[in-house]
Amino acid sequence: MQPLLEATGITKAFAGQLALSNVSVSFAAGEGHAVAGENGAGKSTLMSVVAGILKADAGEVRLDGVALPPGDVVEAQRRGIGLVPQEPQGAPTLTVAENISLGETPSGLSLLRVIDRKRLNDIATAALELAGVHVPVDASFGSLRLADRQLVLIARALHRGSRVLILDEPTSSLSTREVERLYEVVARMKASGRAVIAISHRLEELRAMAERITVLRDGKLVLSAAMAEVTNAEVIRAMAGRDVTSAGAPRKASSEDVVLDVSNLASSRVKDVSFQVHRGEIVGLAGLLGAGRSRTLHAIFGSEKRSHGTVRLNAGGGARDIRSVRDALASGMGLVPEDRRGQGLVLGQSVQTNVNLVLPKGGERFGFLSRPTLLKTALDAIRELGIKASGVAAKVATLSGGNQQKVVLARFLRPETRVLLLDEPTRGVDVGAKEEIHRHLEGMAARGLGLVMASSEIPELLRLCHRILVFREGRIVGEMSRAEATAEGIVALAAGVAA
Amino acid sequence: MSRGGARILLGRLAPLLGLVILCIVLSLTSAHFLTADNLVNVLRQSSVNALLALGQLVVIITAGIDLSIGSILGLSSVALAMQLRAGVPPLVAVAGTLVLGALVGLVNGLLLTRLKLPHPFISTLGTMNVARGAAMILAAGVPISGLPEGFRVPFNGDFFGVPAAVIVVGVAALAVHLLMERTVYGRDLFAIGGNREAARLAGVPVSSRLELAYLVSGLMAAVASLVLAARMNSGFPLAGTGAELDAIAAVIIGGASFFGGVGTVAGTLIGALFIGLLRNGLNLLDVSAYWQMIVIGVVIVAAVFIDVLRARQGD
Repeated sequence: MQPLLEATGITKAFAGQLALSNVSVSFAAGEGHAVAGENGAGKSTLMSVVAGILKADAGEVRLDGVALPPGDVVEAQRRGIGLVPQEPQGAPTLTVAENISLGETPSGLSLLRVIDRKRLNDIATAALELAGVHVPVDASFGSLRLADRQLVLIARALHRGSRVLILDEPTSSLSTREVERLYEVVARMKASGRAVIAISHRLEELRAMAERITVLRDGKLVLSAAMAEVTNAEVIRAMAGRDVTSAGAPRKASSEDVVLDVSNLASSRVKDVSFQVHRGEIVGLAGLLGAGRSRTLHAIFGSEKRSHGTVRLNAGGGARDIRSVRDALASGMGLVPEDRRGQGLVLGQSVQTNVNLVLPKGGERFGFLSRPTLLKTALDAIRELGIKASGVAAKVATLSGGNQQKVVLARFLRPETRVLLLDEPTRGVDVGAKEEIHRHLEGMAARGLGLVMASSEIPELLRLCHRILVFREGRIVGEMSRAEATAEGIVALAAGVAA
Repeated sequence: MSRGGARILLGRLAPLLGLVILCIVLSLTSAHFLTADNLVNVLRQSSVNALLALGQLVVIITAGIDLSIGSILGLSSVALAMQLRAGVPPLVAVAGTLVLGALVGLVNGLLLTRLKLPHPFISTLGTMNVARGAAMILAAGVPISGLPEGFRVPFNGDFFGVPAAVIVVGVAALAVHLLMERTVYGRDLFAIGGNREAARLAGVPVSSRLELAYLVSGLMAAVASLVLAARMNSGFPLAGTGAELDAIAAVIIGGASFFGGVGTVAGTLIGALFIGLLRNGLNLLDVSAYWQMIVIGVVIVAAVFIDVLRARQGD
């Protein structure tokens, strides 16, 4: 039987990094199909290609055996591919009915295009009926609960004739009861002969929605099977990969003196987090997207409001509570943020300016910049980290991802740094630069710094960290020493299922 | 030099190039243009706008805008004239005027950082109206004329053939240049305009730096009021109406980016001079004031379009 939707040989690279490598998968009518994988495995990229949001470098997408024009989201929608994103996007101040008809609002024929309210509401009622959703059509979209917003967007996709419905992390922000309602809607859609594609990390939920499962890892298809024929353990192994044994040299146990003491830390997304970091130790933070790793780092660094808890740097006798970014920097704590371009760098400015964005010792006198000091710091950074740039005056926007990341790292390559927090330090950098960054981090630990590193790449954590803390829903749900940590164990803890 | 490098250099020199071309065209079309008297006159006429633009530059570099400087100019000129007429020694009156301008600027900054108004367009639109209203009330709506020689000579005289106004601009430009290029404050302002979040995470005290930027802008408006009051021999509550827009135009023509993070003192001076020369040339060519507005409007749009093209190349 011909599949409803078929993607063949999909390959896609971003800035030289392969995000998808020759992935082929087909989706049958009336079937639920789960697409699983770790963060960065290529799930969302694949779905974006299928929905025409991204244009693949190679391969094609066929609907009913007819190739779709690549990278044409409007045409893909018109032919019946609907994507409901993780964060439901709609116009918050418009009504549910207006959102459902957005872009094709029914109106009178005159030039004035007066909105035909009655038809607008009738269309919405029919669409909601089709999806089995019960919300008032005249409520404002923004006033709805997240779950209802999602269902309204599903209704919109159905109303527009979607025969393939892609749900990106549909359950990530729903309560148990809301999830049940979503299952009902999904069951209805399958019964009406549509194909449903669900992306998620949560295996139990995928089982409830899908009959087939496809697992991606590092942009490659690693498993495709009928849901009933695979165990959770098999899926988790496929997601994490087996070839994750450490490549790093064995490390000696870290010394006992504590350099960072976080106790009972809490903020809007972080719940009662306590841990310590010792001199020379690299502590890894693992967890799924939204598990609270980044939020924890920001709460420690003082860049996000803390509702509870203390953060102390223990060394040299003094142990003050860190309450702000300036406290943190003044006492020798640094942060390499997750989003290098958005939070780490001033892209339009030079390597020298960016390296010195946190001023080095002696970088100013009475408010005046000491140019020789700043120049020297920048030159040292370029030399020590091997930053490839045409010079200290090169704009960082012109550097590659790996070199940009080294510029951020260079800010803390100073004797005054004692604790370094890193959020996804190698995201979007090529393999060579990644290796170099890893070596520098190990070097910093060897010099006695305490490092805390959040990463979505489990192999990276297993390779570098002495200890790994696993986060779920803002809490630490597990701690593993380097000896006992396995990829399967981490994924299972992070997802909250038994491995 | 690579082609990309040449293009970037050309982009950077565009304001100067525009100025040179304008000068050549004006010298060819008008016999009166290229005379010492006329050129000194242009410098004198451009000085108030140049001073306002220097303040505006500091704010625009932070990706902000200051709509209130024209009103601060008016208010400061009235306050200055009232003090002088009341017999306050010129030195004290000048200091008081500068403090007033700086304070109004500081209020702009505080509205933005402490009340967390969503955009400086709004906070400075508020102070623009308040300052203008205060000026009208203080002066009862009429000019306060007849300022003492002790004030007028240092601000309106000539020193070795150079108008005092030009000297004031020179000193102010040097000060702003040093502030922006040589101090931590300036560097922080560039960083805030370039990427506010990155600046915050690098420990830049964003709020107090922004307050400083608006304070400098208000201060420069007060400096401009000294020059203007000395030339007009009066404090005038309607002085500087709409002047903020000319200042913004000078900054943008001078190559600063409305997106923040980019801008130079030299470019801004060129921008102010460009507008001054254009007005002067159009006057010499007997172009009506109405047509002048159209020409200047077109020039502003063209300059910003160049900025857009440059930003696109930067990606």
